[in-house]
Amino acid sequence: MSDLLSGLIQESISGIALGCIYALIALGFTLIYKATEVVNFAQGEIMMVGAYVNFFFVTQFAGMVGGLNGWVFLAALFCSTIFAVLFGIVLDLIISRPLKDEPVFSIIMATISLAIILRSLTAMIAGPISLVPVSPFGDSTIKVGGIVISVLDLAIIISAIILMGIFFFFFNKTRWGIAMKATSEDSEAAQLMGIPVKNVYRMVWVFAAIVGIISGVLLAPRMALLDTTMSYLGLKAFPAAILGGFGSIPGAVVGGIILGIIETVSMGTLSFHFEWIKEINDIIVWIVLIAVLMIRPDGLFGIAKVKRV
Amino acid sequence: MKRIVSIIIMTAFIWMGCENKSTSPGVSDTEILIGNIQDLSGPIKELGLLIPAGTNMYLDYINSQGGVHGRQIKMLVEDHGYNPQKAVVAAKKLIEKDQVFCLYNVIGTSPAEAIRPILEESGVPLIAPATNSSSMSDMSRQAAEYIFHTDAGYDLQTRVLIDYIIDKNPDAKIGIAYQDDDYGENALKGCAEAEGNHGITVQKESFQRGATDFVGQTMNFMKGGCTDVIIGGIVREPVTIMKTAQAIGYKAQFYGLGPTVDPRVGMLAGEAGEGFIAAYWANYPNSDDSGPTLYRQLSEQNNVPEKMRGLYHYYGFATAHVLVEGLMKAGKYPTRERLMKGLETLHDWDSGVFPPITYSRNDHAGVESVILLQLQGGKQVAITDWRE
Amino acid sequence: MIKGRFDDENLKWIPVLIIVVFLFPFLLKSATFSYKYYLYILNIAGIYIILTVGLDILSGFTGLMSLGHAAFLAIGAYTSAILVDQVGLPFELSLIITPIIVGLFGFVIGFPALRIEGMYLGLTTMGFGFIVKRLIIAFREWTGGSGGLHVSKATFFGITINNDWDNYFMIYTFAILAIIIARRIVKSKLGRAFMAIRDSEQAAQASGINLAKYKMMSFFISGMFAGFAGVLFAHTSHFISTDHFDILLSILFIVMVLVGGVGSIYGAVLGTLFIVLMENMFIPLFEDGMSQFVHLEAGDFQVFIFGLIMLIFIIFQPLGLYGMWLKTRIYWKIFPFNPRKRFT
Repeated sequence: MSDLLSGLIQESISGIALGCIYALIALGFTLIYKATEVVNFAQGEIMMVGAYVNFFFVTQFAGMVGGLNGWVFLAALFCSTIFAVLFGIVLDLIISRPLKDEPVFSIIMATISLAIILRSLTAMIAGPISLVPVSPFGDSTIKVGGIVISVLDLAIIISAIILMGIFFFFFNKTRWGIAMKATSEDSEAAQLMGIPVKNVYRMVWVFAAIVGIISGVLLAPRMALLDTTMSYLGLKAFPAAILGGFGSIPGAVVGGIILGIIETVSMGTLSFHFEWIKEINDIIVWIVLIAVLMIRPDGLFGIAKVKRV
Repeated sequence: MKRIVSIIIMTAFIWMGCENKSTSPGVSDTEILIGNIQDLSGPIKELGLLIPAGTNMYLDYINSQGGVHGRQIKMLVEDHGYNPQKAVVAAKKLIEKDQVFCLYNVIGTSPAEAIRPILEESGVPLIAPATNSSSMSDMSRQAAEYIFHTDAGYDLQTRVLIDYIIDKNPDAKIGIAYQDDDYGENALKGCAEAEGNHGITVQKESFQRGATDFVGQTMNFMKGGCTDVIIGGIVREPVTIMKTAQAIGYKAQFYGLGPTVDPRVGMLAGEAGEGFIAAYWANYPNSDDSGPTLYRQLSEQNNVPEKMRGLYHYYGFATAHVLVEGLMKAGKYPTRERLMKGLETLHDWDSGVFPPITYSRNDHAGVESVILLQLQGGKQVAITDWRE
Repeated sequence: MIKGRFDDENLKWIPVLIIVVFLFPFLLKSATFSYKYYLYILNIAGIYIILTVGLDILSGFTGLMSLGHAAFLAIGAYTSAILVDQVGLPFELSLIITPIIVGLFGFVIGFPALRIEGMYLGLTTMGFGFIVKRLIIAFREWTGGSGGLHVSKATFFGITINNDWDNYFMIYTFAILAIIIARRIVKSKLGRAFMAIRDSEQAAQASGINLAKYKMMSFFISGMFAGFAGVLFAHTSHFISTDHFDILLSILFIVMVLVGGVGSIYGAVLGTLFIVLMENMFIPLFEDGMSQFVHLEAGDFQVFIFGLIMLIFIIFQPLGLYGMWLKTRIYWKIFPFNPRKRFT
């Protein structure tokens, strides 16, 4: 296999793992946007909270059992998910409920303040010293024909796929999923049809919290140190959500993965061959995004809305 | 209109009457007030906790010994969140409102640069700005006479590392991974200098602050055939790069700059980090010099938690030596001018924490030499003398 | 005759405003020795007022969301620093040229706005913010890279603007000017066209408003205000770096407009004052007071209080400060006959 190709594949795999995390964050944006037309600026912070909460559970359980093993991680994941459900309900209560009939602008601002609050509160509770997250898979890797895949990356990709599969099934096959879809089409009409719109909104926030928290749990071991700057990755997932078209679930996934691959490949192979790429490494994603939006203003998978006067 | 005029006249009188009141602000009979501006809410808030904690440990020690000329030293810490504008607000607050005697340890290059105009306007000295950028000791810049820099610049560290590599192996192919901000820019400056000296080209790869993925960069170093790789990162970067290199089977000698002396690098990288060489510019915390010995002793006494000890806590402890020495030299009746004059008389001053420091009228650069430490069996061991 | 032109009741506040604004520093100076600290914070607020007033025209009146206004501020600051210090233009000329250049940048950003809408536009402008920041670093021969750039003091027709005291008068002269100009724009044909676009693009187009022209115009005007603020920013803080113009600042600008009340020039002014003073003065002072009693992690506690106040504010007062003012005014106008239900 040529040097160039193996390099590209190696980078792409790493990029896909990173992209899956972006995709999960973007999925959080998408779910809320789809139902309520609100962009949730706190999604990155929800992810950060997830990483911290999971860390807390892991250390607690490890202390109880007296060591780390697979069950500790599973139990921590389970508890984090339960926490996510409660967290989503709380978010719905303080953000979505009181501002239901207010302009979208106000709710966006509420999410911005929520982001600020979550970031500082986490640091106040956990302390400013970075934590050292543990990966359930250690540093183990798999070698496939000259390509090295870290088990952690593989686990991230697999769990992201499973999670997205569940969402896809939920939205297309279950009553609640269809109710959600209806609400996002037209909330008033949905209400008239007997759909409990309030409950749907709560469910949306719960789901967004679950994907946020799980993305935090998955991302944390990839970072050698865990601190609150992790939440800025939420801003990086915005392009993923837009690229796919806000409000489209497959769009968020594809957008996230494209973004992850662009990022790692431009850092690697591209900047090896083109010197100037190094200057624009961290904005290349945005350049691609703006170019795509110029051609398709609603993103790759977005559907242009019919405008009403 | 009459009223306005009278108000203006009255204010003018009050203003004139009060202007000459304070001769040396921040100094009372029992206390000297020091202002410190740290990042307590931004991206490096960890340092914002650790550095002042280390400083306070040393100041408490000095205070318990009777303070400086009978005065206790008290430090106020303000937050700038790594935003230069907020650093200016904090500096104004400390100087105008809290009336501190001098500023100390403003963290970050751009925040420290941003307060230069204030230093010039108010004549307040800034001791030991917490940045390894060599621009701080550039005497041609604004307000340079008020700034006393201690840290050895990243450019010097990079140059010394490259010199060391070339000394050992003249055919070495060197690579450097740099952060795409002023940290990296400073490292590249030293790199360019060394390239000129040795007639070599260094392979440069950039990464973003906070990046989690270094596969691309590591692959590039491998493709470029680098035998020696310098990592201009903090903790996450060297650890991840060394682990990635181990995973993809790329063998090279890895080096790091000042911040990578952090003991967590050895702890997190484990086996992959064995043999990692880092450039450092103070007596490292594990050595037997008088400063580090005192540090360990005080840390035991004060029950400093294990997770707080390390590079940054020690850094706060170390730079406080310069502050205290300056206040000592300022004499029984300290003014800001005497503080600066006093520091400028330091010649080959051995603090126990730094290699000998010399300040003069035209030289406000503190440490100008670097020592290389290698991770051997998880412990840092000095492998060279002080190099310039 | 002049009276006829200023018939709009909202402008009657301007003379009062001018007197209050220009007397304030004298009062401050007589009241406290640390007046420079307070003046500096007011100066920041003054510069941001110029920008948010322009942002309000774009986001509040035309309905085009921008999350990249810190980038316009950055372009203005760097352009002026380069023009004055490196090209050698006088400051007065830079005050005219720079806003036009930044306005043209606004034009360029306005281009995608013809196709992209709503949040897509907001996030595109956010991307623009990132791109500008990176380009500033890339042009390091002129901009000093990520190390930042020191900027000379402003000289205004032979008078050197030296310290916070001088800065205050310069900044607020221009800020008041900006408020008046913004009001004139909003109340003109142009402003009505902007509002028509905000309320319904289709209806606006049907009534003969050229969407492309007016959207670009809105971006141009907003860019000019931001550029103007940028010039003042560079020459009063004397040091600029990419760390100043963080993405969080862009978000904060939008927050200022929202807190004040969308679509009201005075609202933007109030919102800016509120946020800047709260962030830089009230909360640190409050924290200083608190820390005498309890030990706190100072930085995060301040940020936490800031976020909390914002959240509580938006939940209870979604229409912003200006909306609050209007409500109280209506309440008093019809006083004894208030209906029981809450006004909206």
